[in-house]
Amino acid sequence: MRPPESCSPPSVLPYTDTKPQGAADFFFAINATFRFVISKFGTEGWGEYLRDMAREYYRPVWHAWKAGGLDAVARYLVQSFEAEPDAVFAVRREKESVVLDVVECPAIKHLRKDGRIIVPEFCQHCYFQYSEMARLAGFHMRLEGGNGACRQTFSSEALPPQDMKLIADAK
Amino acid sequence: MIGTYDFCGHYEWTFAWLEKKGGHPLLLEYMEEAISRDSQAHARKLIESEGFNGMTKYWGHTLAEESPEQAYTMSSRKDVVRIDMHDCPSKGFLIRNGLEQHRDYCDHCIQWIKPVMDDAGFVIAHEHNHCGQCWWEFRKQGDSSAVSQTGELAGEADARLLPNWQQKTHHLFSPDTTPGA
Repeated sequence: MRPPESCSPPSVLPYTDTKPQGAADFFFAINATFRFVISKFGTEGWGEYLRDMAREYYRPVWHAWKAGGLDAVARYLVQSFEAEPDAVFAVRREKESVVLDVVECPAIKHLRKDGRIIVPEFCQHCYFQYSEMARLAGFHMRLEGGNGACRQTFSSEALPPQDMKLIADAK
Repeated sequence: MIGTYDFCGHYEWTFAWLEKKGGHPLLLEYMEEAISRDSQAHARKLIESEGFNGMTKYWGHTLAEESPEQAYTMSSRKDVVRIDMHDCPSKGFLIRNGLEQHRDYCDHCIQWIKPVMDDAGFVIAHEHNHCGQCWWEFRKQGDSSAVSQTGELAGEADARLLPNWQQKTHHLFSPDTTPGA
């Protein structure tokens, strides 16, 4: 159960809105943007787009991670997923890592519900974005699963290289 | 995850990224191909099939979702649909968070809506002031009626009556001034 508003921890989200969650139809634009960028620049160019966004737009987030360590990573993951409509997830803090289990991805769920053609590489975007933010903050990030549910690990210790085959195509 | 909560922030950042990569023509191509024809396929379907009724259904849903404070009004007559936006939830998000990553965020609306209206057989009159306030009028192609007088359609809710309407630079689009509009 979510605590009453007055007891909620202060927001760690760098950009805040007047409503508690985003509008789900924005996932249509995110999916369409990925399709457009891939069509113009290929998957390598799309990866560059996501890493650039991680470095520039999400600068306040990875700065906070760098300053606050894995606790800051955990707080951000909880609050950012709480702000997504219909997200089902769990964040677990371990000694040298934070594990995010996405039980039901809000993006895949909404895109499927509307019958949208999902970009097959869609689930890789979390890896490109978060691994870059983690790198800049001095951590490592790996992803396994996808297509509606996945596990994301943020670690202060080195992890084996990401095997992209472990990230499922979305459909 | 690139999510919906701060969508307007990374959407605006994306405009700047695309323009840096391929200039303004690439951004315009993105608006028409990715947003107008792909992302907003649901809006296109409603407006093409149901005309004015489809517009009220689409914006009724999307503005209620994006602006629960209802900082807008929608007015309609049998020959026109008008929207008055008093505090745009999208531009408002950027203003409140101090984000200005692209020189003309507000332009994105006309860039995706116009191709929808062109294909569905409607023309647009629109004005925005880059401060989260704007108005729109949609009429059938061939209807040569002038833009409504201030207050004629929306009464006191007409954005042109807002005390802070006359600020910053205004962009005006009308069937007369916008090629093909």
